[in-house]
Amino acid sequence: MVTPESIRIDIDKGMKTSYLTVEGDGQHFEAVIVSEEFAGLSRIQRQQRVNKTLGERMTTDIHALSMKTFTPQEWQEKNK
Amino acid sequence: MDIQEVIKQQVTTHPVVVYMKGTPAAPRCGFSANVINILNALGVKDIFSVNILESDDIRLGIIEYANWPTVPQVYINGEFIGGSDITTEMYQSGELKTLLSKVPA
Repeated sequence: MVTPESIRIDIDKGMKTSYLTVEGDGQHFEAVIVSEEFAGLSRIQRQQRVNKTLGERMTTDIHALSMKTFTPQEWQEKNK
Repeated sequence: MDIQEVIKQQVTTHPVVVYMKGTPAAPRCGFSANVINILNALGVKDIFSVNILESDDIRLGIIEYANWPTVPQVYINGEFIGGSDITTEMYQSGELKTLLSKVPA
């Protein structure tokens, strides 16, 4: 079974994040990702950036990964 | 016709296109159901939907077309909008309504 931790590790390895959580039940997962790499990227480009860290896993063992993406500035605004 | 050409034709000849699991009346996945619910809530009457469970060519084709590994995929006026997360965010922010207002009735 796919664990949230295994997804977290792959994302963490593949890109620079300042905050990263992944939760899930083995089928559906939810990630919150804060990264300075998102600056200037559209929503689609941000998800594509994260998808890249997971490679083929996105089309094979991960059924569904829902994600919220923020730059450090956006994250700070949100949590004010 | 090449599958990429087929997809391009589908998304450019219909204002609102959804590639999904199942059909709008009977979605086979919660995320697909979610985008249909949102489009319905915004009053979109004419959704051109493609059930990817019926065609492996289309399923693999849209992954390549949008460089996006999952379904659903929503297209408005030929432009790839995103999947369930982005459609939801754009619905909540009002951006989706604005985009849809540019769709010819």
